[in-house]
Amino acid sequence: MSGRKAKNIVGLSLLNLIFIILCIIALLPIIYALSLSLSGDSGALSSHFSLLPSKISLANYQAILTEKPFLQWLSNSLQLSVATMVISIGFGVLAAYACSRFRFRGRRTMLMMLLLLNAFPQILSMFAIFRLFKDMNLIDSKIGLVIIYAGTMCIFSIWNMKGYFDTIPVEIEEASKIDGASDMKLLFKIVLPLARPAIIVTSVMVLIFVWNEYLFATTFMLNEHSYTLAGGLYQLQSSDYSRSWPMFSAAAILVSIPILIIFFCIQKYMVSGLTAGGVKG
Amino acid sequence: MKNKKKLMPWLFSFPSLILIALIIIFPILYTGYISFTNMNLYHWFDFKMIGFDNYIRALLKLDSGFLMALVVTVLWTVLNMILQVIAAYFIALGLNHKGLKLSRVYKTLLMFPWAMPAYVSILLWRVGMFNTEFGLLNQILKTFGLSEINFLSTNVPAFISCMVLNLWMALPFMIMMIDGAMQSIDQSYYESAKLDGAGFFARNKYITIPAIKPIMAPAVIMTTFTTFKQFDIVYLLTRQKGALTGATFQTILTYSHENAFVSNNYGLSSAVSIIIFIIIILFSLYTNRSLKEENQ
Amino acid sequence: MKRFISFLLCLLMITSLLAGCGTKKTTTKSGKTDTKGKAEPVTITVWHDGDEAIMKTIETKLNDSLKKDQITVKFEKKTGLSDQLKLYGNDASNGPDMYFYAHDSLGTFVEMGVLAKITDVVGEDTMKDLIPMTVDACKYKNDQYLLPIYFETLLFMYNKDLWKGEVPSTTDELYDYMVKNTDTKASKYAVVNQHSTAYNVAPVINGFGASVLDEKNQPALNSQEMIDAVTYNNKFAKLQADGDYNTVSTLFNEKKAAAIVGGPWLVSGIKKAGINVAYKSLSDFKLPNGNPLAPYSGVQGIGIMKHSVEEKKDALKKVLEVLAKPEVGVELVKTCNCAPANTKSYDDPEVAKNEMVEAIKKTADTAKPMPNVPQISVMWTPTEAMLAAINKSNVKDIKKAADKAQKDAESAVADMK
Repeated sequence: MSGRKAKNIVGLSLLNLIFIILCIIALLPIIYALSLSLSGDSGALSSHFSLLPSKISLANYQAILTEKPFLQWLSNSLQLSVATMVISIGFGVLAAYACSRFRFRGRRTMLMMLLLLNAFPQILSMFAIFRLFKDMNLIDSKIGLVIIYAGTMCIFSIWNMKGYFDTIPVEIEEASKIDGASDMKLLFKIVLPLARPAIIVTSVMVLIFVWNEYLFATTFMLNEHSYTLAGGLYQLQSSDYSRSWPMFSAAAILVSIPILIIFFCIQKYMVSGLTAGGVKG
Repeated sequence: MKNKKKLMPWLFSFPSLILIALIIIFPILYTGYISFTNMNLYHWFDFKMIGFDNYIRALLKLDSGFLMALVVTVLWTVLNMILQVIAAYFIALGLNHKGLKLSRVYKTLLMFPWAMPAYVSILLWRVGMFNTEFGLLNQILKTFGLSEINFLSTNVPAFISCMVLNLWMALPFMIMMIDGAMQSIDQSYYESAKLDGAGFFARNKYITIPAIKPIMAPAVIMTTFTTFKQFDIVYLLTRQKGALTGATFQTILTYSHENAFVSNNYGLSSAVSIIIFIIIILFSLYTNRSLKEENQ
Repeated sequence: MKRFISFLLCLLMITSLLAGCGTKKTTTKSGKTDTKGKAEPVTITVWHDGDEAIMKTIETKLNDSLKKDQITVKFEKKTGLSDQLKLYGNDASNGPDMYFYAHDSLGTFVEMGVLAKITDVVGEDTMKDLIPMTVDACKYKNDQYLLPIYFETLLFMYNKDLWKGEVPSTTDELYDYMVKNTDTKASKYAVVNQHSTAYNVAPVINGFGASVLDEKNQPALNSQEMIDAVTYNNKFAKLQADGDYNTVSTLFNEKKAAAIVGGPWLVSGIKKAGINVAYKSLSDFKLPNGNPLAPYSGVQGIGIMKHSVEEKKDALKKVLEVLAKPEVGVELVKTCNCAPANTKSYDDPEVAKNEMVEAIKKTADTAKPMPNVPQISVMWTPTEAMLAAINKSNVKDIKKAADKAQKDAESAVADMK
């Protein structure tokens, strides 16, 4: 028995070691950026680079926060990603539920079609969307961007959540159906709580997509104050010739922090509802 | 009642379908329309229909360079997907190990690459990792007494470099998906399997993999598309204007970008886009069929 | 579950609130027609993709001079300006009134039909004080579309503390110096250059009498002169590190390279790194064939969009007239080390003292303006692919690389029509 315990401890330590190494690999470029961003304005790129900067200075962070409308961008990013998330998840849940629970004509075709449509490279849509939005007066408007983002992520949301809905046993719903619950009620009371991990994962995906998108954000927003974080960063630092690397990496770090906080917070909700609520409750 | 039952699913799907029609279908149709016109630099606003001319020209452009790019793209997609799924599977498995107390911390740290906008990561890698003079990789090689490598100047190292970067950027998503799927597996299966004396492989083969497969299938298919369509990595790492690194391999998107899009000939490049779209459809129909056969 | 739904509802509310904000904003924008006094205030929007310090200087100068006319000029940075102008070029409600950019994309915009001639707004005599090279560079098919403001060209910049002896006056001597003073293993370089960037190899290409586009604006990448030029350049490239912009500028700023071939945009970084820098015009170097090195010159100018001429003609005229005066140029030299297009700016004592601007001005005589026909936009990729193949992938058969580049360039030019 104690031998088994020892083996377990060795195994666990090994696993921890592997994960520490993995994390270091994943973080190496980011540590590089962090160190660059903390090096103050003196250090541009450097050939004798060490992961720990010799002197730590927050000058770059201060410059970004004060010289650029960073907080405005942050708020734009937040508004856009939350709005997109609500719309594409809200719409997506409904469609995914329909595709998962109803056996209607054209269901397979529709799902297949959606998948194929998703194959069209999005950069190519720019010009067409521009023409459309110009007529609809949606240029330089947040609503326009939300529509673009939600439309882009809609197919993903549908497919992703449908896969998960399929794994939820229909029996659970049928029991309630006998009680006379409507479709809507079923969806909200039973399916959604069970599919919580899928909904959270999908929402985070949508959020990150919007958070990191810059091409549409910079093309359809015309005013410096309406950029998103990624768009503003892109607009300011896109050319090799004008880029200040320390400042660029500081901005990059600042852009990623909110996402990481969200990651950390959602993890406790990621545990499945299936075992927690479905079978027992 | 019967009619209502029939209408119900469409009612549920209606909002999504409207959005998709607006943002995805309309642009495809519009691109299709432009592909039949002579819209180019010299006819920017006064373009007219010219029939199939652009398609004939586009098909003539599908030369050996295009075929090579197609082969590279398929190779790129397949290799990336295999590595990605396998690596993510094992990482997620590790994260779900019961004794791993710090798994939440690891998970958050592993997500970091995903939290950065793609072009930022790519530029950071180009300058911070792969650079010949002061890139971290070469500095590591130097401290071990090895000679420097110019990672991006020839095709094979550059392809591998792009793939490493793609893995770095795409793994977080895969890990998160697989991890989420694994969370949904009823733990009682494992408990009874343990009682039956099932080993590590048996548990994976008979419980974990079958359980996560239906959840993972859409994610994997979607990622395959994304990988196929991947443009930023190859372009920004090796082919950016003014910063060409010497590697010459192309994916079909970078190839057509250079051959049609740079020319400002929207008619021609739309025709190329439609042809690429058709190729992707054929490609996905093929993969989908093999997937379906496996499922049934 | 209830919490989840209420959370969703909250989000929905935020969204609708946000939507309200969005529409409100657009209404105030269109409702801005308050008529005060006789002259109506006019706002001129200028899009650029340049250095913000330079643009700020011009913007401030303009607004100071135009305040009494109630004209406000707003400079807005647009990354990927040429792609943006393809969308917004003729969009009166969202697009700019003017654009500020290098002259080499001029032909593209003219053919697209979004630019108006500046002579529609101001007279020819506005240009009389400007350096003729810059004025000609801003002409397309004999019409003047841009008003040149300042111009850039490559310089030989060296670190006085590292360079041994005199800077040679022929490229062959320069090469000998590089051979003697370069140790690639120890990351020590004599001269670094972006040897695979077309703009940076242009001094050699033009000096050899080669040209990316021939007189008929057709690609000429496999001409004998071109092959000789890139072969000659390859000798230097072998001693010049990787040649990537970030690499070479870092090497110079870290005192690992004694000299760099680069443009004025490097100067602020060099000064910050505390380098004791000196400049030499590239035209002071003679090639083996007796010609001086002939770098490209890029003229930064301002043009007007067609749609804005009708509505804002008078305001545009005033803006251009201020910009054509020597004062803007003097200000640009003082704050940003730009070489102004106006010859009268150089009479200012402070300008005359500026070593770098002097060197650029000197090069203006031999520098070749970049072509501005639309074809040039598709030429950079094949040209640089050829240079990268030769200098970075070390392709042995230079003729073959040139032939391939020529073929790609020909098909790219053909694709435009």
